[in-house]
Amino acid sequence: MSHDHDHNAPAPMVDEISDFEALEIAVREICIEKGLFSAEDHRKFTEFAEHIGPTPAARMVAKAWLDPEYKKLVMTDAIAASKAVGVDYLNPTGFGTPSDYTDLRVLEDTPSVHHVVVCTLCSCYPRPILGFQPEWYRTPNYRRRLVRWPRQVLAEFGLTLPAEVDVRVEDSNQKCRFIVMPVRPAGTEGWTEDQLTEIVTRDCLIGVALPKPGVTSNLELSVHHAAKPAHH
Amino acid sequence: MSQHDRTHHARIATGKGDPQCFAGTAGGPSKFKVGDRVRIKDMPDIFYTRCQVYTRGAVGEVAVVTHESPAPEDEAWGHVDKSEWFYIVRFKQTDLWPEYPAAFANDTLQTEFSERWLEAV
Repeated sequence: MSHDHDHNAPAPMVDEISDFEALEIAVREICIEKGLFSAEDHRKFTEFAEHIGPTPAARMVAKAWLDPEYKKLVMTDAIAASKAVGVDYLNPTGFGTPSDYTDLRVLEDTPSVHHVVVCTLCSCYPRPILGFQPEWYRTPNYRRRLVRWPRQVLAEFGLTLPAEVDVRVEDSNQKCRFIVMPVRPAGTEGWTEDQLTEIVTRDCLIGVALPKPGVTSNLELSVHHAAKPAHH
Repeated sequence: MSQHDRTHHARIATGKGDPQCFAGTAGGPSKFKVGDRVRIKDMPDIFYTRCQVYTRGAVGEVAVVTHESPAPEDEAWGHVDKSEWFYIVRFKQTDLWPEYPAAFANDTLQTEFSERWLEAV
């Protein structure tokens, strides 16, 4: 087959990409060509970064609810406390990505103060312990509005706080990253660390939701049953 | 080929963290302490800053003295030889936004500044 014989070329797998995706690909390919990292390094790092989720942070909160000594450590040195839940903040990826080192601080909710986190300047987020940001966390809409109309934005997430609870917005604009430690909800008396970890969802750790017994995910996935299910 | 050292930051931060790797480089103790009232200066911010416009001129209270680090206005250009103290400052929302409802007068917002942005009130 001659090299100009391309009228049967397959359609591109992706029809459209954003300017930022084009930029990312261009920068990545230049880095690989210059030998700063290899394609294999990039694949490994991407897979590493994408598998991190909020579970370590949820466990940190659950452990702190159960263990007052651990809670003291969480409040004074969250970096050290992260190690107990399997996150080494000082070498978070093993790939030397300094944007992830940062500092970690935990904002403790009380019955009268509720914290919620935003980064108005970009989308700063404690990725080593929470994984990637949800898409809405990166949107200008959330970033602009949360600082100014926090109660209205929280209400849009389904969290309506009474007037006697003060809302404290944390705009994470420098080298500190934040997670929220919600108040342990009623109805969880006698629960194990594993049970408590399940209800501390990602949204609870950002502060746009409160933990509730029985709610273990921020996603409500409806199940579409097969029209003609296979029977084995 | 450029001689710019792209791994410098990773090397100084690995095993310590960033900002932790700049501990002790601000040349002395912090100027402000927790509880101090401070006003955010409205300085020019040509090229780069991380000091939000909505805080300029507002008065708040130092909530946490966080760490030492080069200011982002310098670090963005690779200037990491001078560090400053950083502070998380707590504002009353009603001091930041004129239309913030008085019914929620105890609502607050916290965000962080390097020392150059703060003046004593």
